Amino acid sequence: MFDSLMYFLTVWTQPELLFLVGLGTLAGIYVGAIPGLSVTMAVSILISFTFSWDVYPAISLMIGTYMGGVYGGSRTAILLNIPGAPSAIATAMDGYPMAQKGEAGVAIGVTTVMSFVGGLIGILVLAVAAPLVSDFALGFQPRDYMLLAVLGILLVGSLSGGSLLKGIFAGAFGIAIGAVGMDPLTFTERFTFDTQLMRGGVSFIAVMIGMFGVSEALHQLHHIDTPAVKQKIGRIVPSWGVVRKYLPLSMQTSTIGVVIGALPGTGGDIAALMAYDHAKRVTKNPEVPFGEGAMEGLVAPETANNAAVGGAFIPMMTLGIPGDAVTAIMIGALFIHGLNPGPMLMIDKPDMFWFIVGALSLANCFMLIFGLTGIRVFTKIVEMPRAVLIPLILLLSIVGAYAVNNSITDIYWMLGFGVFGYFMKHYDYPLGPVILGVILSRLLDDNWRRAIISERESLPRFFEGIITSPLSLTLFVAVILIFVSQTPLWGSVKSRLARKAA
Amino acid sequence: MTPPKTRKSGELAFAAFLSLASLVLLYNAYAISGFEALSAPGAIPMATTLVMVITTAIIFIKTNRAKPDGETSFWVDIMPLRIAVVTLMLIGYALALKPIGFLPTSAVFLLVVIKYLSRRSWAFSIGISLLSLVIIYLVFRIVFTVLMPAGIVPEGEALAWVRTLFSGAN
Repeated sequence: MFDSLMYFLTVWTQPELLFLVGLGTLAGIYVGAIPGLSVTMAVSILISFTFSWDVYPAISLMIGTYMGGVYGGSRTAILLNIPGAPSAIATAMDGYPMAQKGEAGVAIGVTTVMSFVGGLIGILVLAVAAPLVSDFALGFQPRDYMLLAVLGILLVGSLSGGSLLKGIFAGAFGIAIGAVGMDPLTFTERFTFDTQLMRGGVSFIAVMIGMFGVSEALHQLHHIDTPAVKQKIGRIVPSWGVVRKYLPLSMQTSTIGVVIGALPGTGGDIAALMAYDHAKRVTKNPEVPFGEGAMEGLVAPETANNAAVGGAFIPMMTLGIPGDAVTAIMIGALFIHGLNPGPMLMIDKPDMFWFIVGALSLANCFMLIFGLTGIRVFTKIVEMPRAVLIPLILLLSIVGAYAVNNSITDIYWMLGFGVFGYFMKHYDYPLGPVILGVILSRLLDDNWRRAIISERESLPRFFEGIITSPLSLTLFVAVILIFVSQTPLWGSVKSRLARKAA
Repeated sequence: MTPPKTRKSGELAFAAFLSLASLVLLYNAYAISGFEALSAPGAIPMATTLVMVITTAIIFIKTNRAKPDGETSFWVDIMPLRIAVVTLMLIGYALALKPIGFLPTSAVFLLVVIKYLSRRSWAFSIGISLLSLVIIYLVFRIVFTVLMPAGIVPEGEALAWVRTLFSGAN
């Protein structure tokens, strides 16, 4: 217990780490606030730049960026009706009408405080629940991990893009990319096309930067003539009365956020939309109708998406299953520093877990401070024209892809995936499942082989194992349900049932 | 799930490409270890590429059934000149990086792309690209200690020289 506290305080007491978390948070807020720059982009580029650092400073910087970025998306949602990040889509619905009425300052103030409240609750739940989940996870069978991985990819696929088919394709494609190279168990070549180039596998950093950096930057070229963003960042601290009034609602929506965040495959964007919906249902007589600038419509998504950050770290730290694209990238960051997220991490390296909890809570405090004070000097960065911003992102993507392995090949991979990702984006194929697939490929493969070998290569025995274990059965049913609910079959069954009932 | 009624320009070709590529990968996955065992190194690759083949086939059929939307044109909406040019410049950058080195390649790349995209004066483009390159170089070379290909610029020597200047002053 005392040790945990010491690990927790590491980041608070070392000036260097404190500074890096603060810097990351500040950068994250601005990355989140600039439409076209995303947290996924920033963190994936950061992984490559910080990989020669020690693990603590690197993680400090990335956690700050993550936390700040989730909050930063609300700025442009309120001021311009352009959500800086998907998790701020719901924020725009009532935030922008408030700004139109000249209440942008109040909206930003409330958003900031409520994001802090949500973030805090998420972190508290993480600190309490993760050790329990990891104890529980020690009893997981390889097949359970396999099913969890499939579940996560399916959830991201079905929720992020709309078309489940395209989502499943993207996930499978990611798993295939992850399999390229020498098989770690048997040293068989997989998808190498007999070339030396492919034997080392495809660097997942290159895939990430390509898909989230270059493809996004190319996509932004469509909107290059949109005038640069002009933001007024004022200093408005909401009164205690206002905060207290919405505290009960924020508790409920934070809970929604944590739970949604903790489910593998679902992250802040879905949490925010569900919380918004919840607020609409429980608020009987809003002072201002929803959609026209209701404060509740601002409180709900903003608490939920920040609470989801803590929630998303639960499956990530305890099971090694990322909740969404950003946590997939965070797992990548831990991998690259030689850490293997999963139940053993909590036992082998409790310091790492408590350090992350500490960094998250510190980032949350920095977010509150920066959000409320507003730093006018930096508004210039947000006003930078895209004609300058996009070439810089492209350059950073190239430097980032090169930096990890000092390899030109990685740049080619990165560019290839960038252009491919650009087309995927254009034709509505989701990119999130690809990254999730790449990250989970190894886990899925290893656990499938472990599971089937322990059942002596017998499929009937494998399924018998699933059916006789309540956990495996639950996961298996969940996988089947998601799949069936998205196929035409479900529609026809439902209509037949409805006809029978009538 | 209702299939999209219309398709964008080039969408069908993309779907066809994905289907074909998936088939090639499935064949490749089969070649890893065939149907040797359920735990063979090729088992998961075969399963995933099979999923890819099935999903892309359905997507292809659905896209083929959808009517072209008649609004989007490939060279205007999907791959306009601007994006094609920037993509080509990126490829050029990647090719030139190793032989010529990070500093000159990046300077030229930033200058040309910023000038091309912003359509501002040369003075603006040169000023901005040099300034950002200096910042990027200082931050990433010195703070993040990222080593980029030096190419024709003896930057390692230059840095060492600057360091001796400072250490000499102490």
